[in-house]
Amino acid sequence: MSPDDADGANDEPVDDGTVDTDAYSDVWVFVEEHDGDVMTVSWELLAEARGLADDLGEDLVALVIGEDVDDVAGEAIERGADRALVADDPVFEPYRADPYGEQFRALVEERRPAIVLIGGTHTGRDFAGRVAVPAHAGLTADCTELGVDDDGLLEARRPAFGGNVLATIVCADHRPQMATVRPGVFAAAAPDPDRAGAVEQVDVVVDEADTVTEVRERVVGDTADITEADRIVAAGGGCNGDLSPVEALADALDADLAASRKAVDEGWVDGSRQVGQTGKTVRPDLYVAVGISGAVQHVEGMNDSDVVVAINDDPNAPIFDHADYGIVGDLFEVCPALAERVRDGEALAGSEADIEPEAQR
Amino acid sequence: MGDEPVIVVGVKQVPDDDEVRIDPDTGHLDRASAPAVMNPPDRNALEAALGLRDDAGGTVVAVTMGPPTATDVLEEAVAIGCDDAALITDRAFAGSDTWPTSLTLAAAAESLGADVFVCGEETTDSSTGQVPPGIAAHLGWAQLTYAEELDPEFDDETLVARRDVEGGHEVVAAELPVVVAVAYGEFEPRPAGLHRKLYAESEFEPIELSAEDIGLDDDEVGIDASPTEVGGMETVEPVERERVVVEGVDELADELAETEVFG
Repeated sequence: MSPDDADGANDEPVDDGTVDTDAYSDVWVFVEEHDGDVMTVSWELLAEARGLADDLGEDLVALVIGEDVDDVAGEAIERGADRALVADDPVFEPYRADPYGEQFRALVEERRPAIVLIGGTHTGRDFAGRVAVPAHAGLTADCTELGVDDDGLLEARRPAFGGNVLATIVCADHRPQMATVRPGVFAAAAPDPDRAGAVEQVDVVVDEADTVTEVRERVVGDTADITEADRIVAAGGGCNGDLSPVEALADALDADLAASRKAVDEGWVDGSRQVGQTGKTVRPDLYVAVGISGAVQHVEGMNDSDVVVAINDDPNAPIFDHADYGIVGDLFEVCPALAERVRDGEALAGSEADIEPEAQR
Repeated sequence: MGDEPVIVVGVKQVPDDDEVRIDPDTGHLDRASAPAVMNPPDRNALEAALGLRDDAGGTVVAVTMGPPTATDVLEEAVAIGCDDAALITDRAFAGSDTWPTSLTLAAAAESLGADVFVCGEETTDSSTGQVPPGIAAHLGWAQLTYAEELDPEFDDETLVARRDVEGGHEVVAAELPVVVAVAYGEFEPRPAGLHRKLYAESEFEPIELSAEDIGLDDDEVGIDASPTEVGGMETVEPVERERVVVEGVDELADELAETEVFG
């Protein structure tokens, strides 16, 4: 240790490529909450990170930032965290990048986590992009697979080139190793009320007077979680702003509404229902793609569906290559007809009674 | 902020997604052969920046980081209405991941005296969305990501944005200077004017800035300053589907009735 380090300057992260990686340990999960409501992806991350922490022989730590979030911290323990770090202050509700970023920076400098995982929501991406910079952390975006190699390095895998290739991103010389993870990829950890773990209140380093942003209004209604749906009907650009046929079909099938990026960008469907590379991964029993061309970025988010049906008026639409059954036709005619057929046909309506013998074969 | 706001808008040249072909030998996408275009989300950023100038005056300067051929996207930005444009180019930038990229753009923003730095939501060639918050973090500025509407309150040194968040929206006021990332698809771009287009193609020359020009050492940028590296690539095996095209809803219903979904 040099004399200069005696005053504690050695606690500063080194930014010249010579980070002492051995000084960093534990797997952190950023638990994203808004007003006490936790985004499901955070519980998905706890489940996946539990395995990583066990592989490494290190602790799984839930990082909870917000106001009055003790219950959230407790639930994080029940869902698999060994410990929870809680930064509890009115300055943290609602979420803002600048106070969250400053708090995180201070925590990373002091606690030195090896790995930090963050849900790939708008808030998660806003947060991750900000906090990775002062730490000079390696940050991989929207991963769909995570693992650790023989040296304990995080292997963050993400679809590249529109999904035809899975790239493995590693961060050998910098810490923490950070990744945002696409919602819906992993199953959420179930709570176990018998799990115990320490909840530690950390020092809040942010003062409201130092913030540079102010949330004047926050209106949140539809926070649908399509990742758990058994049946999905998804709307694409072919709907031309009229979702009624898609909604009618979804209603008849008792399915959840989802959308391609196009339908979300046009404002027809809320972004929480977007399927694909920058949306969510879904794995329903039935996925009906309506008016969706089938760009690889979309297909990648629905490829785990059991049965895929495509409805499109373009016989050359790529979606037909990724569907089990396709109908080439006008969705404004096919959807109502199929909805009616579903309502009439008892086999498709899910009734187990009075099914014609032919229909059972 | 000076008397007149300086609005810098970041643009990037990317391979045209619609023209990317699959290399028959490797099965990988051959991006090198695809024509280079302006990153589509950056068109929304350009419109947002020009809209701020419409409302509040000032100047709009487009900036790109890339090889000299990236001048094409700067000419396009000037044709659409930017007052000026800067090419940040240096061999030292090669291999930059999002960390040094955001450092470089942050340094460029300072050199150009930016009050507002407008970016697209993400680039279509890497889809990280990390650079706008990264720029803000390097500079210690406020950030407004997923912006759907912008309302300049520049007299109060403030920019107000309506942000798209999961399940709704929020309205956030940020002190200047600020980095904005515009939600993809918002801010319908305006067409290029004919005279402006002719000027951009014939007379216009971008400002050219090296790493040194914007106050960066070579070892602060490029591959050496990039924490992440690609450890490997695997081709994803396509999921096998039945690919049956049926004639109508009755046939579809019959097929579906035999699947486990309705079994």
